[in-house]
Amino acid sequence: MTSAQTVQDKYIALELRHITKLYSGTVALDDVSLTVRRGEVHGLIGKNGAGKSTLVGVISGIVTPSSGEILVNGHTFSSLSPISAKHQHISIITQEPQVIEESTVAENFFMPLYAGKQVIDWREMARRASAILEEAGFPLDVSTRMRDLSISERQLLLVIKACYVENADIIIMDEVSASLSQKDQAILYRIIQQLIAQNKTVIFISHHTGELLQVCDRVTVIRDGHNVGSVDRKDLNMKKLASLIVGSTNYDELVMDDLSSMIRDEEVFALKDFTSYGKFQDISLSLRRGEIVGLAGLRGSGRTELFKSIVGIDPHDKGTLLLQGKEKRYASPAAACGDGVLYLAEEREAEGLIPIASIKKNITISILPKLSRWGVIRKNTEDQCADALIRTLDIKAVSRNQEISQLSGGNKQKVLVAKIMAHTPLVCLLDEPTRGVDIEAKESILDTINRELRKESCVLISSPGVEDLIKICDRILILYEGRIIDQFHRGQFSEQEIYRAMQGEIIHHTDEVSKL
Amino acid sequence: MRLRTKIQLTLLDNLVWVLLAVFFLVNAIFTPNFFTGKNQLNILYQSATLGLLVLGQGIVMMVGELDLSMEATLAFAPGVTILAARQLGLGPVVSILLTLAVGLAIGWFNGFCVAKLQTNSFLLTMSTQIVMRGLVLFLVPFSLAGLDSVYTFLGRGRVGTIQVAIPALLVIYLIFEFIFRKTIFGRRFTLTGGNRRASYISGINTDRVMIMAFVLAGLLSALAGLITAGRQNAVSNSMGENMVMMAFAGAILGGCSFNGGMGKPIGMLGGTLLLGMIDNALTLNGVDVNLVSATKGALIFVAILLDRVRFKLTARIMHQENMRKLLAAQEAQLSNGPDAA
Repeated sequence: MTSAQTVQDKYIALELRHITKLYSGTVALDDVSLTVRRGEVHGLIGKNGAGKSTLVGVISGIVTPSSGEILVNGHTFSSLSPISAKHQHISIITQEPQVIEESTVAENFFMPLYAGKQVIDWREMARRASAILEEAGFPLDVSTRMRDLSISERQLLLVIKACYVENADIIIMDEVSASLSQKDQAILYRIIQQLIAQNKTVIFISHHTGELLQVCDRVTVIRDGHNVGSVDRKDLNMKKLASLIVGSTNYDELVMDDLSSMIRDEEVFALKDFTSYGKFQDISLSLRRGEIVGLAGLRGSGRTELFKSIVGIDPHDKGTLLLQGKEKRYASPAAACGDGVLYLAEEREAEGLIPIASIKKNITISILPKLSRWGVIRKNTEDQCADALIRTLDIKAVSRNQEISQLSGGNKQKVLVAKIMAHTPLVCLLDEPTRGVDIEAKESILDTINRELRKESCVLISSPGVEDLIKICDRILILYEGRIIDQFHRGQFSEQEIYRAMQGEIIHHTDEVSKL
Repeated sequence: MRLRTKIQLTLLDNLVWVLLAVFFLVNAIFTPNFFTGKNQLNILYQSATLGLLVLGQGIVMMVGELDLSMEATLAFAPGVTILAARQLGLGPVVSILLTLAVGLAIGWFNGFCVAKLQTNSFLLTMSTQIVMRGLVLFLVPFSLAGLDSVYTFLGRGRVGTIQVAIPALLVIYLIFEFIFRKTIFGRRFTLTGGNRRASYISGINTDRVMIMAFVLAGLLSALAGLITAGRQNAVSNSMGENMVMMAFAGAILGGCSFNGGMGKPIGMLGGTLLLGMIDNALTLNGVDVNLVSATKGALIFVAILLDRVRFKLTARIMHQENMRKLLAAQEAQLSNGPDAA
């Protein structure tokens, strides 16, 4: 027993056995077992909603598994808490760097412990912080305030804190590189190498297959709450990894009714060389009336930024926007809205809905002038408009006057779609309209977009999952690092190929792409 | 929705009027000289100034901000106007317009700073309040008495036995009730207050709405100043002092919230009248002035509690209604089931 434990201790940093996690009605993790060896960089990848973040939560002690056990350092746990995870020298660095803006780099390192006994020894603290930064190969003045640093630098400092100050044995990096600049990424990879040389363990989560293959020794793929396999790097390439992540799907079952016959040969909306430096570049596209075009890209590829620049929430640097052949430049969403260019915001609660207003008031917010005479809202017209959309989208509510805050997530999202539909817009820019909703609501929203929104408008839609786009789109554009690099047409959709294209791989030849 | 649920929700929505009715009945029975026409008119007349401040404060609270400077505008606008009028020999009608224009300009300045420069409204209006009160104390060290009768008409004029200020207040409230209930212009205030970012993205010019809210508050404060000056037939430098807290009390009693997005003028009127009636009833009962003030403070506390109770009760009633609807749908399915088979 003791010898077995030492062996386990020596080679295995962390083991998960038959972990299952149930959320009301759905299985997030289904009997997942996973072994992470000491001194390896272990990659973790999966589509959105595959169960990746739940698994990370279990390891870092934020999520309590429904069953199964966790083995760390020879101890067996049925669940961890953030504190017991810390005791086992597990440290997690999350996507969004959380720092105290007013503190200096040195303070931030040693908080909440600080140097010195009763009185903080600032000089000692600064000296130690400089030494650590030197060791990490990240030259920076330790008296700099956090607020003066870029997101990338803050993120890197949190990594350094976890690795050198907290001295964790197992370090979880949850999509850390997504917010790092190229220069800082290189530093991160060097830090990881240093850690491995010290026989520490890194669990590395990323959406980028190329990066995983570059950094990791082994990669575990999570799909639909299952561990599909932990594979050594030497047995992997981009194509194999993509197929593991996506799996095989029956497309005929997936695709909704093909209504591409409704496309009319009339260009409604076009972008030419649309650019906002650092966000997206040289975007050219053209939408016809009745057409639904998907915009597929990883987080950080510039999708949301592009949408926001089109409707004038953020400025753009160059390029033209053509609406029915006329050049436009919108200074605010109000101007875009007046021309029938509508944006469905990705952040439902923060940017989409007004929680304490009624369903009716939320649906009609953008079309009040249409429902009124001399500035006075016609009550009956407004009620009819709201009722019709509540019926079309099957929004479950007591009445049109119910407050938004009392609805479920799926129904809230439907109200957001209803708001766009009320307008009968020319151009719909839908930023993840199926985000965070249950399957039933998702199907209903996609079906409504496919049948109703198509009639008068053209639609540019992004989605957290490729399969949603495949269901209704006539074309799918691939956005990678701010550029459109590829295009897929209905009939040639393949989830695996699209997934690989989103990683920057060229599937089609450039002459095909240029015929956008 | 069932009739009972509808009545429950309506009562909760207009809780302040329920309170007002109860309070009125109790005093009509127990307080001497309360239930006379003259006293009722007196309550309305005494409430006119506060009523306008409550309305202005309520509008600013609808968009999720607050305005501490209203009480100083109340003294500043007529003060500056009367000084200018006496220097330049302006007529009374021009003076009235100038008073309103000063209020409007102050409101616009506050609104511009809050909307465009994104200053915190509490700090900003606190500073404008102190500046204006200081200027009034400097410019008007002694009361300016003996005003033109046209200028004071709104404050002390009468139509028969009724003071003009009373119908003026009611008409203003009616107009604003119409604006906020029926027009696009009014709807945009609560939408902006409910979620400014979402309203902006949905195509509302939220900056303009914010500025408008402060402009209306400034305008209503100046109007309140006009009435106060008229009532005492003089402009004094202490007009409106400490009234802004009562304006908050009235607005909160009337259903406004510091988070914005809520409020109806008709509720604010209820809040104003409740405050006025308490003042009146306690005075008639011979309660000390300072105790009256303490009682009103306690009432604000009650108002805040009631607001939470109202919120929870509404949520519970809606939840019950939802469950009833779901159960009915299930039963309908069950009874249809065998037929279909």
